[in-house]
Amino acid sequence: MSTILRTSRLTKRYGGKTVVSDVNMTIIPGDIYGFLGQNGAGKTTTLRMIMGLIHPSSGEVELFGKPLHGNKGEAMERIGAIIEYPGFYLNLNAADNLEIHRRLMGMGNRESIDDALAAVGLLDAKHQKVKQYSLGMKQRLGIARALLHHPELLILDEPTNGLDPVGMKEMRQLFLELVRKRGITFLISSHLLSEIEQLSNKIGIIHKGRMLEEIDYESLQRKTRHYLDIKVTDEKKAAFILEQKLGTTDYVVAGSGGLRLYEHLDEPDRVSLLLAEGGVGIKEMVLSGDSLEEYFLKLTGGDKFA
Amino acid sequence: MLNVLLTEIMKLKNTKMHWLILLGAIPANLVTLYAFLPRVTPEGTRAGIDLQDMFYRQGMVITILGPFMFALMTGYIISREYQERTINQLFSYPVSRTKILFAKLGAVVVLIFTTSLLSCIMVTATGVIMSFTKPVEMEVLWSGIRMNMLAGLLALGTIPVSAALSMIGTSVIPSTVLGAFATIVTLIGEMGHGMRNILFPWAMPYWPVRELAQGLAESGPNPYAVPGMTILAVTFMVSLVFCIVYYEKAEIHSGS
Repeated sequence: MSTILRTSRLTKRYGGKTVVSDVNMTIIPGDIYGFLGQNGAGKTTTLRMIMGLIHPSSGEVELFGKPLHGNKGEAMERIGAIIEYPGFYLNLNAADNLEIHRRLMGMGNRESIDDALAAVGLLDAKHQKVKQYSLGMKQRLGIARALLHHPELLILDEPTNGLDPVGMKEMRQLFLELVRKRGITFLISSHLLSEIEQLSNKIGIIHKGRMLEEIDYESLQRKTRHYLDIKVTDEKKAAFILEQKLGTTDYVVAGSGGLRLYEHLDEPDRVSLLLAEGGVGIKEMVLSGDSLEEYFLKLTGGDKFA
Repeated sequence: MLNVLLTEIMKLKNTKMHWLILLGAIPANLVTLYAFLPRVTPEGTRAGIDLQDMFYRQGMVITILGPFMFALMTGYIISREYQERTINQLFSYPVSRTKILFAKLGAVVVLIFTTSLLSCIMVTATGVIMSFTKPVEMEVLWSGIRMNMLAGLLALGTIPVSAALSMIGTSVIPSTVLGAFATIVTLIGEMGHGMRNILFPWAMPYWPVRELAQGLAESGPNPYAVPGMTILAVTFMVSLVFCIVYYEKAEIHSGS
């Protein structure tokens, strides 16, 4: 399958300090890729390398199947981005700022400015100077600018920074709508687990400059499922009873007399009764499993996410 | 390229740049009013208004204020992208950084020539009004216009130096300090009417002004014109190449 973005062992060093180390990332069309990490984990540095704003110390960035180096102009025509902060010419109004963008992107259609502003609900404020905008309005204007030239990939660095909960929800809905209606691929960085969880179908977790895991949402769900952790005297017999008496195959034999049962979590009494009736002794039965947050905490060595 | 230049001009909308242009142009116009003060010839008769003298005084003022004003304009155009954190976006366009740099320098050229043009309005207007009462020497008018054009052109020679300082400092302050220093040095040089001061690149625009005054002061052609031009050309080329390389290679961190 063709890739929109691929990074290979992307590394950035400043002097002796490595701030991003061997980051591999793969994004395919239609992905909403959540790039998750604490503040200072290396997210923005990675995004800057992808956008060609800083030069990697080693490794490669490939956009739309071509190396970024030597093809930057072509790639940038197909990308919309907000890196770190949506910067605007504060003396100009929203329409003028987007007009500058339109010209620099080499677009002919002026009407697209109104369309982009309407998409983020800023059409009524198009003649207002940007210096009068709130941070939330600037974020939305940043999205409008990023959308103006109909990009295939949107790279958004902490896009909900400064937004209130209602604004964050609206932004999420906008992103999902853009995926649905325009088929835009997203790369969204955030330190907010909840934000990434609600949006992404693929998640990359970066910590202290290293990509700890790149995982699709289904695999993550599987990893973070709750289960009944049962220690029994005879695991084979117990497995037979679970299938025959309880009618489930959603379990795994964990070895050393252990079973993990992913169904009937709210019926431990029934499970234990059936096993006991079948002559299987139960040594221990506890509800286990990580929440997403616990999973990330384990992965990152116990440091807290927001 | 024209599109990129137009965006640079657009960015100046609603800024205080027009005040800065007027701040450079108005003093030059005011100084030319000196020509309207009563003046008596050695023969004791009343002298008329001397357009050449007006152009000379206007040229003096604009070449003294120019280094400061033009450095400030350049510094603002370059450094605001860092200050307003628009540099991330600017360098993410499918336009080469060199092209962006040339568009910015192009905007400075427009501002310099606008300032120069406005600075000689009073002289030109006086010439036009005088032409209704007596013939005006077209050669004097043309030499005044030529002086302004050449002075403006020579002022461009040091613009990349200001641009380089603004890029490195990501602020308007370094280029403004340089401009203030250059203005003081130029002022001292012009007050002394020395020929040699045009060896200072920022004072080179004074060369055509002084040439214009030859009829007034009988000073003869400036022997330092060629070495002065050479120094200015080297300054221009070296600083421009530095700007291009620096702009192309610069890494953009935290919007500034």
